[in-house]
Amino acid sequence: MSPQRRRRLFFAIAGWGVTFVLVSPFLWMVMGSFKTTVDFLAYPPVFAFVPTLANYRQVLADNSFLHYTLNSTIVAAGSTGLGLLLGIPAAYALARYRRTGIGVVLLLARMAPGIAFLIPLFVMFLQLHLVGSFVSLIASHLIFTLPLTVWMMVGFIEAVPVEIEKAALIDGCSLVGVLLRIVVPLTVQGIAATGILAFIASWNNFLFALVLANESTKTLPVAVLGYIGYNSIQWGTLMAAATFITLPVLVLAFCVQRYIVRGLVAGAVTG
Amino acid sequence: MAKRRDWAPELLSLPALVAILAVMGFPLLYLCWMSLHRWSMIGFDAPRFVGLQNFLQLVQDDRFVDALGRTFWFTALGLASNLPLGLGIALLMNERFPGRAICRALLILPMVATPAAMGLVWVIMLDPTLGIVRYLLGGIGIHQPPLWLSDPDIVVPTLVAVDAWMWTPMVALICMAGLSALPTEPFEAALVDGASVLQRFRFLTLPLMMPTLMVAAMLRVMDLLKLIDIVYVMTGGGPGHASETMNLYNYLAALSYDKIGYGSAIALVLFALVMACTLVLIRLRRPAS
Repeated sequence: MSPQRRRRLFFAIAGWGVTFVLVSPFLWMVMGSFKTTVDFLAYPPVFAFVPTLANYRQVLADNSFLHYTLNSTIVAAGSTGLGLLLGIPAAYALARYRRTGIGVVLLLARMAPGIAFLIPLFVMFLQLHLVGSFVSLIASHLIFTLPLTVWMMVGFIEAVPVEIEKAALIDGCSLVGVLLRIVVPLTVQGIAATGILAFIASWNNFLFALVLANESTKTLPVAVLGYIGYNSIQWGTLMAAATFITLPVLVLAFCVQRYIVRGLVAGAVTG
Repeated sequence: MAKRRDWAPELLSLPALVAILAVMGFPLLYLCWMSLHRWSMIGFDAPRFVGLQNFLQLVQDDRFVDALGRTFWFTALGLASNLPLGLGIALLMNERFPGRAICRALLILPMVATPAAMGLVWVIMLDPTLGIVRYLLGGIGIHQPPLWLSDPDIVVPTLVAVDAWMWTPMVALICMAGLSALPTEPFEAALVDGASVLQRFRFLTLPLMMPTLMVAAMLRVMDLLKLIDIVYVMTGGGPGHASETMNLYNYLAALSYDKIGYGSAIALVLFALVMACTLVLIRLRRPAS
C-alpha cells in the first residue's frame, strides 16, 4: 500500500469513527424505540431483537401527545411566521440603509439569558391573563426568532444586486413594492432557510414553554419529561417519543445544513 | 439610495422595533424594577421596595455563590473540551477521505436535535445498571464506572460531556470554515523548509486559527454560562445541588420559590456576567486579528 493510500485509509477510519461516536446516541435512540420492555431491561444490552411498533403505538394512541405535537407546531409556525413578517422589512432597511443600532440589539439578545425576559414576561402575562395562551408562547419565542431572522436575512439581502432595486425605484416603484416584488422573490431560498432555522429554534425551546405553557398549550420538549416518572421510567415509550420529536428537526436541518452555523451564531437561546 | 425617502427605512424597521421593545426592551426595564422589590405572585402582599437588598442578599446566599462558582467550572470544563476537540475534528474533516461529505453533514445532528429529548436519551444511556455506556466501558475493562448522574463529584463533568457531545460539532464546523479561509502560501513555504506536522500546527495553524477559535469560544461561553436545559431534564440540579447552574437556580428561585424580586436580581447578575465575559473575549480577539 502506498503511503498516500495508507494516509487516506487512516483518515477514513478516524473520520468515520468520530462521526459514528457522534451519531450513535441517535442510533441507540431509534433502536430503543423499537424494543419491547423485556429487550430494554436485558443486560448486557441486546443489539439484535425482534422490533416492535408497540412504543410508537402507545405514544400515538396517547391523544395528549398528538395534542402537544399540534401545540409545538402552532407555536413554532406562529413565531416563525411573525418573525419573518417583522424581520424581513427590518433586515432590508438594515442591509440597504446601514442602520447600526439593530446590530447592538441583536448582540444583546444573543447574550441575554432567556430567564431575564421570562421572569418579567411571566408577571406581565399573568396580569394580562395570558399565561398558558399561545399568544404568550408565540410572543416570547419572538425573542429568538426575530433576531435570528434579521441576522440571517441581512446576509441574504446584501447578496441581491442593488442595481435592480435602484432601477425599480427610478421607474416609480415604492419601497414596499421593491421589497415585495424584487427582494422577496430574489431571496426566497434564504427566506426558506431562515424560516426553517427559526422553526427549529422554536420547536426545540424548552424553558419558555416550561414557564409560560399550561397543560393544554404544553409543547413537546416539556411533554416528553412526563415519560420520566418519579419511580418508573417508560424507557421504550420515552425513546419513541424522543425519536418522534427529534426526527422532524433532523430532516429539516439536513435541508439547510449550509446555514446551520450562521443560524446558531444568531439565535440559539439555550436558557 | 433615494434621499427623499429617508423616513422609509425607519418605517420598515418600525414593526420589528416595536416587537423588540415589547418582548425584550420593556421586560428588561421591568426586570430592573422588580429586582429592587420584594415581590411574590402567590402572596397577598403588594410588591415592596427594598432598594438593593436583593443584590446584597446574593453575597450571603451560599446556594447562589456555589451556583456561581459551579457555572464557571461548567464553562471552564466546556471550553477546555470543546475547543481542542472541535479543532481536532475540523482538522480531521479537512483531510481527504471517502465519505467525508457525509461525515460533515452528519456533524450537524447533535446541535439541532431537541436538547430536552436528547438529555433524556442520555439519562437512559448512562443508567448505572442497564445503560449502554456501562456495557461499553465493561468491554474495555472498566467494570466499576462512576455513578454518572448521582455522584456529586462526577455529575458536572458528565453534564459537560453531554453538552460537549451537542456543541463540539458546532465548534468543529466553525473551525472548518476558518481552516478553509486560511492562506495556503505559509503552509507551502513551511513544507519547502521541511517543517514537521507538529511544527506546522504549532507555528502556523494554531496562531492563524486563533481569531476563529475566539469566535467559537465566545459563542460557547455565552451558552455555557446560561446552561440549563440538559441540567434541568437530566439531574434537576442534583444530587443535592451538586449540578445546579446559575440559570437553573435563577429559574427555581424566581418561578418555583416565588421570589420574583430576588430572582430578577440573579437574572441581572447573570446577564451582566455573560456580557462581561463576552466583552472580555471580544477585547482579547482584537489584537490577534
